[in-house]
Amino acid sequence: MKKKLMVLAVGVLLLGLTGCSPKSDEKITVVLDWVPNTNHTGIYVAQELGYFKDEGLNVDIVQPSEGGSADLIAAGQGEFGVSYQEQVTYARTAANPLPIKAIAAIIQHNTSGFASPVDRNIVTPKDFEGKKYGGWGSPMEVATLKGLMEADNADFNQLEIVDVGSLDFFTAVKEHVDFTWIFYGWDGISAEQQNYPINFIKLQDIDQNLDYYTPVIIANETYLKDHPETTKKFLRAVAKGYQYAIENPEAAADLLLVENPEIDRDLAIASQKYLAGEYQSDAEQWGVMNSKIWNNYGTWMYDHGLLENQLNADEAFTNEYLPQ
Amino acid sequence: MRKYQNISDRLIPFIFVLAVLILWELIVNLGLVERYILPAPTDIIAALITNSSDLINHTAVTFFEGLSGLGVAIILSLVMAVVMDLFPVVKKAIYPVLVMSQTVPIIVIAPLLAMWFGFGIAPKIFVVVLVCFFPITVNLIEGLQGVDGELINLVRSMGASKSQIFTKIKFPSALPYFFSGLKMAATYSIMGAVIGEWLGGKSGLGVYMLRARHAFALDLVFAAIVVIVMVSIALFYSITVVQRLVMPWEKLKEEEE
Repeated sequence: MKKKLMVLAVGVLLLGLTGCSPKSDEKITVVLDWVPNTNHTGIYVAQELGYFKDEGLNVDIVQPSEGGSADLIAAGQGEFGVSYQEQVTYARTAANPLPIKAIAAIIQHNTSGFASPVDRNIVTPKDFEGKKYGGWGSPMEVATLKGLMEADNADFNQLEIVDVGSLDFFTAVKEHVDFTWIFYGWDGISAEQQNYPINFIKLQDIDQNLDYYTPVIIANETYLKDHPETTKKFLRAVAKGYQYAIENPEAAADLLLVENPEIDRDLAIASQKYLAGEYQSDAEQWGVMNSKIWNNYGTWMYDHGLLENQLNADEAFTNEYLPQ
Repeated sequence: MRKYQNISDRLIPFIFVLAVLILWELIVNLGLVERYILPAPTDIIAALITNSSDLINHTAVTFFEGLSGLGVAIILSLVMAVVMDLFPVVKKAIYPVLVMSQTVPIIVIAPLLAMWFGFGIAPKIFVVVLVCFFPITVNLIEGLQGVDGELINLVRSMGASKSQIFTKIKFPSALPYFFSGLKMAATYSIMGAVIGEWLGGKSGLGVYMLRARHAFALDLVFAAIVVIVMVSIALFYSITVVQRLVMPWEKLKEEEE
């Protein structure tokens, strides 16, 4: 707890320091999207193995209370954050657009989807009718659910949506809701480990347009303009961290656990083994993004009447800071 | 003379708030602060108007939770304070626990309540009761124990029973304390309900604010805050009105001064 307070204090102090970049260790704050998990392993590996230090960066990792870091990064409360393509899309097309940009994809393909215990019989979006969905209060969820159900000729009004905050999948579906949105690499693997049979509707299997980047690393546009070199250093270290996680799943899991001992080790290792094939997947290097993916999803959302404005993909993401 | 004094006294806060609002509006409109960080007062008013039907629906839920919780808290406080007053041993046993109950971090407890009792209104009401009963109970017990002992001896010598002493002397003289506690509790009640909703639920201002925040619609978040403030203040003043009706003798005292 003390440590967390310190981290917060440092974050607050940082606010006063932006704009001057000392030559010695540069202070960087990374805002996660959720509690630390295997999506973040590369960042923790870079921290533990000194990759950040080698680049002359002094990195603090902080977590917000729930779902995403877009507004915090827009407000300059951290240099880099973890977010999702759907959140960036929404933030860039909001009435008051947030000046954030995705600079690396943590996972190449969308490993997320809707999970439910087998006995609820939810196999297609049509089956969402008359069921209860547990979310975290994001309009993106509502938009995506609506789009999926309409595409499957289902009546969206027959779906009940409850915000369950940061309740985990297993607790949520036990008594309160029928299905939630999960990352397969975490809750899906956890279900496998517990021999808990689930139905999993993988978004990318339903519609190619939903194979988007999630999670992604984001930064503030102004920051990117003013600190291109620091951004490159940061991504070089992070890319090295994810590379290490791809090659050494088990060791990477242990490095994640150094800072986060509350995570179950067996789950972390199993999750790391699954993600080793997903972080970079079929891309030529880790982190690289394709404008087609950004445009497809943005257009899909817009066509379903779920966005106020068309997304301009060039504003939303860039590969220029990734290691060459 | 006093009348004019009153009028200017009422104007001072009004003028001050207005000045702050104008300054705020200027700061945002001059672009010193970005709209995604802080919306201008006019943005908030616009959001209030365009989303009024949504806001009314969610306010109804929150208001119901807050009021039910406050009602339960009042009953609970009355029972506890009276019992603690009658049996000093109970007071010794319970009082530290009461204090302890207020040190539990609500923010941490609320999601657990959701886990135990689901996402209906019960856990929200529970949160409201938890934050509201304490100021009422503590004030009431203080009022009951602070009654003039000589007065009690006097009526006792006249042959008053224990229950008569309570209803005729103790309770009326503890009423001002009770209302102080109640006013504090009333201001907390809506906020308590919102905290409960913020951590999960289907409807209510807390849920609405969470969704607005995730939609990066800060003007809506502030619109909801304005509603919460107004409802809380309204509740506070209604209690002041009730107090005047219940304790007409206080008014007499004021006039005599």
